[in-house]
Amino acid sequence: MYNDTLDYLEKIYEPDLRNLLKRCYQCGRCSGVCQLSKVQKYAPSKIIELILEGFEDRVLESGELWDCLTCNQCLKDCPEDINFADIVRIARYKMRHFANQNPDEIVAHKGIYTTISEIMSRPYITPERSLDWVPKGCKISDKGNVLYYVGCLPFFNYEFENLDSIATSTLKILCQIEKEPIVVFKEENCCGHDIYWGQGKLKTFIKLAMKNMEMFEKAGISKIVTACAECYRTFKVDYPNIFEDFNDKFDVKHVIEYIYEKWKENLIQFHNPNKKSEKIPFTYHDPCRLSRFLPKDNNIMEKVREIFKEFKDLGYDFNEMEHNQKNALCCGVSSWMNCNEKSKALRYKRMLEAKSAGDIMVTSCPKCRIHLSCLQDDFEDIASIEILDFSEFLINHIKLIKPDIKGEEKK
Amino acid sequence: MPKAKTKVIRKDFTPEILVFCCNWCSYAGADLAGVSRFQYPPNMRIIRVMCSGRVDPAFVIKALKEGADGILITGCHIGDCHYISGNEYAQERFGRLHEIIIKQLGINEKRVRLEWVSASEGKRFADLITEFTNQIKELGPLKVL
Repeated sequence: MYNDTLDYLEKIYEPDLRNLLKRCYQCGRCSGVCQLSKVQKYAPSKIIELILEGFEDRVLESGELWDCLTCNQCLKDCPEDINFADIVRIARYKMRHFANQNPDEIVAHKGIYTTISEIMSRPYITPERSLDWVPKGCKISDKGNVLYYVGCLPFFNYEFENLDSIATSTLKILCQIEKEPIVVFKEENCCGHDIYWGQGKLKTFIKLAMKNMEMFEKAGISKIVTACAECYRTFKVDYPNIFEDFNDKFDVKHVIEYIYEKWKENLIQFHNPNKKSEKIPFTYHDPCRLSRFLPKDNNIMEKVREIFKEFKDLGYDFNEMEHNQKNALCCGVSSWMNCNEKSKALRYKRMLEAKSAGDIMVTSCPKCRIHLSCLQDDFEDIASIEILDFSEFLINHIKLIKPDIKGEEKK
Repeated sequence: MPKAKTKVIRKDFTPEILVFCCNWCSYAGADLAGVSRFQYPPNMRIIRVMCSGRVDPAFVIKALKEGADGILITGCHIGDCHYISGNEYAQERFGRLHEIIIKQLGINEKRVRLEWVSASEGKRFADLITEFTNQIKELGPLKVL
């Protein structure tokens, strides 16, 4: 077991950071576009140069890299495709294990949520999640084809409100469309995203991944649907880095993709039972994990916009914010690191953009929703915006096109 | 590379128990138990906090992560808090911790407990520790290797 972990670690860890940076020709664009550099002194290009010149230990000792938002804006604008977020991830592992740094004091919410994921990675822990949020009339089982991966939502109830409705509405949508019962695990583990990106605990991440893989295989799942942007990115890109055959075995879908496909297959249509004469303006916040963090051939951003175009006839008016798609601003906190006045400034900026674009802000990452709605308690001028998850927004606007009725008519 | 911690399991399991005591009541109660020479099992560590309201659920979760087998939070009786409502706050927070986090993690709820012990209840403190230790002993170690 222990040797396995080390074998897998080689696949996601690079001892010499310089190998990843050799292509850099110091154009400095990363420091120019860096979202964090707008609110504090922080320059990725300087850090890259220091590492290339052989002062890696100085960078690690300064602890500067704990501040990075890992929003990947620098990768998007980099002419040489240098993945700075990956450098940060590996550097965090090094800072923790070789520079003896512990960021526990700066982790948001005293590190409760990251500690929970760590406890879940232990082999002797089997979570017993409450399934109170499962809507009535929805059939769930332990074994089957389609899995709804809930993520950390039930644990967030500890401090945040109304998050169950994301899970409830996603499962309602799935139940409407699928005929078989949906698989929802009672003993579901964390996907390990926060530990992987924020905490630098790569070995814990591998343990979680192995535990999850085992569980999926045991239940005989072929399709994983999730409503969380972070879980999606982790299953789509980071797990295949460890297990090469992950994407062949399991078909990972975000709820957006899932609905888009069913819509294109003519299984569902959108409608609005309470249509009003006046159009409601709304906007969409792109989570970084669904825009900049995905491979280039993934067009989930265009898909969601295509769905929203359909809403024009349904009494809604879709507006883009000033920064959108791959240039979308960060929600300010990533992987529960660094919730402070600087991140609040970033969030406030985002909320002002949202306010000028519409009354409703739809997003597809539960954490973006948490972070942005948390700010609404502090500032009155942005409190009027309603922040909804994608599935919460769609739940009342989906209608099944019933093939049964057509069949009966033929008879 | 940090070495993997190996724990030798003895046949007689001695649980590791963490006790949070509030400065004004429970710590004095523990003191009284010592002064009055009441016997209680020695396998617990006391951490003194100013008020039971100071005990952040993060402490409890972290202790579980680090390998504590049981955690006991003690404070003044409701209405006796030195800071007027600190223990009520602790009670409310503890309820959520229990219901939402400990239960959902699949950890036996009996391992984490909230009790009220006043400064004059030396005997009760000793009895409580004895009873809690026996309970944890029955449950066995949290970390099954």
